[in-house]
Amino acid sequence: MTSPSLPRRRRRLPKTQRLPWQAIVDSLVMLLWGLMFARFTVTGHLYLLLHPDFMWLAHLAMVILLILGIGRLNQVWQIIRQKQRQEAIRSQEHFALLPRRFSSGLLLTVALFGMVYTPRPFTSETAFQRGITDVLGQTRSRPERFVLSGSPEDRSIVDWIRTLNVYPEPDAYAGQGVNVSGFVTHMPGWPSNMFMITRFVLTCCAADAYPVGLPVELPEGTPRPEPDTWLEVEGSMQTDTLDDTRQLVIGSATLTEIPQPRNPFEY
Amino acid sequence: MVQLNNGITLFLSLLVEAMPFLLLGVIFSSVLLLFVDERKLLGMLPRNVVLASLAGSMIGFMFPVCECGNVPVARRLLMKGAPTAVAMGYLLAAPTVNPIVFWATWMAFRDQPEIVFLRVGFTMIIATIISLIFSRQRDMRPFLQDNLTKLMGEPVDSPAQGGNGLKRRLGATCPAPASSAVPTSPLLQSGTFLMQAPGQVLQLDAPPAQVMDQLVPSLPPLKDRLRMMGDNMVLELRELGSVLIIGSAIAAFVQVAVPREIILSLGQGPITSILAMMTLAWVVSICSTVDSFFALSFASVFTSGSLLAFLVFGPMVDLKNISLLLTVFKGRTIVYLSVLVAQLTFLLTLAMNLYGG
Repeated sequence: MTSPSLPRRRRRLPKTQRLPWQAIVDSLVMLLWGLMFARFTVTGHLYLLLHPDFMWLAHLAMVILLILGIGRLNQVWQIIRQKQRQEAIRSQEHFALLPRRFSSGLLLTVALFGMVYTPRPFTSETAFQRGITDVLGQTRSRPERFVLSGSPEDRSIVDWIRTLNVYPEPDAYAGQGVNVSGFVTHMPGWPSNMFMITRFVLTCCAADAYPVGLPVELPEGTPRPEPDTWLEVEGSMQTDTLDDTRQLVIGSATLTEIPQPRNPFEY
Repeated sequence: MVQLNNGITLFLSLLVEAMPFLLLGVIFSSVLLLFVDERKLLGMLPRNVVLASLAGSMIGFMFPVCECGNVPVARRLLMKGAPTAVAMGYLLAAPTVNPIVFWATWMAFRDQPEIVFLRVGFTMIIATIISLIFSRQRDMRPFLQDNLTKLMGEPVDSPAQGGNGLKRRLGATCPAPASSAVPTSPLLQSGTFLMQAPGQVLQLDAPPAQVMDQLVPSLPPLKDRLRMMGDNMVLELRELGSVLIIGSAIAAFVQVAVPREIILSLGQGPITSILAMMTLAWVVSICSTVDSFFALSFASVFTSGSLLAFLVFGPMVDLKNISLLLTVFKGRTIVYLSVLVAQLTFLLTLAMNLYGG
């Protein structure tokens, strides 16, 4: 392992004119990753990927990556200018699982992909696949306490769900006013005048997003909105039996179509 | 199409979430490798075996590296004459018991603080037990790779003297040309040193400075150290970043492509969930700095015990780690080690599933 590398090293050293490709690729990788973070920040797509509490970390990463990339580029420039290779840059042999070129290639590919791809928010299909609940399961986050905003009309979907978790008797809420926004999900087996108004909740990043929703009963004659339409639903709470369970349902609903919010998640 | 978009969004979200932590881990390990002298550290360790294993598992707080960086350090500790208990404790616990990983786990699981603390607790328990077991073996040499035992085996002057350590190492690792070339071209020496000491990030990365560090007690000038740090960061980032990409891709794929019923049926059984997550941890080999975010994506369907199993087992033994461990241990030893770790993790997390929360 050792001895064959020595002569090769000696032979290669005099070729000082060669471009330091590895360093160039490294700096490209860092810069592109930094730019990818910058792009997500500028376009607001970061909201689709992260909980706002962690955004400063992403911004920090962006700054560090850009600094690293620029520093590396500076090194490359110096090497080219001095027509002389620095040992530190080329001596990056390291015991690794993946070959160096593969690693660089992968990082570069993903960064380029991130520069062109537009992340999209999760849709009703995902919500259905992940199982919408009005009960936060055993493994869901269970805050020790939460403060409800004053009137029922100010509660968001997730506020309603949390309230229901604390006191699950639907009748206790009958007649209260509701004003929530979310997207439409059609649940299989539900009558045609019902749909679920849904939101995804984040604790950390999109990877742990889980859907919550409230059933909405449409007034007579109102057509059922298409899945994934963003709506503001105003109405009043009533109880109804759905899927063999007595649940809270938003009744006498007025629907207003709204554009998809910049930040589609609730927290 | 929807699935694909979801998968990609998940994938990017995991990357964007984990990258800052990976960067922080890389920065810390680069800074501390350059500024902390493990030789001095060894002098301060307790003699008692139990205390030594505990101390070993706590050294991670000094070298916050994930499992990709700890093998070289453990190897260095062994070469510098650390007791087996310390080196083993360090090897197993350091990737988990360190500030960056603790913080990342806290960020991911702040709603379930028990996971964060049990992760550290279980890791310490397992690391201590295993280092105690291995300490029963007075002579570790049959367990270690031959080239490493050669380095340890020579009659040792004081292990605290770095100059000797270097000569021993160079003499043993570089056959003909380099051993005679100690005072001559430091570049050549370092080149050889690189190839022979896989994974020794600092030494690999900035060999001239490393040689200087070993021969001359003073540190290289700040400018050089900063450059070395930058180089080391880029190197680790490239390597760990690509593993992170693969891990995130697998996590995203599993989430969108594997039918939910299968995952649910696996994830809700107290035993199957643990086994599944341990296998996943072994295969995915994701870096411990960021594995909590990976685990988080399974948090809604898998039992807490199985998430813990993932978080405890993965940093100790995984597919990627084996290649690194092979630079220290013989194959047989790694099998012992893996089986022991797996059994202990399984028992502890099963107890948690059955009796805990």
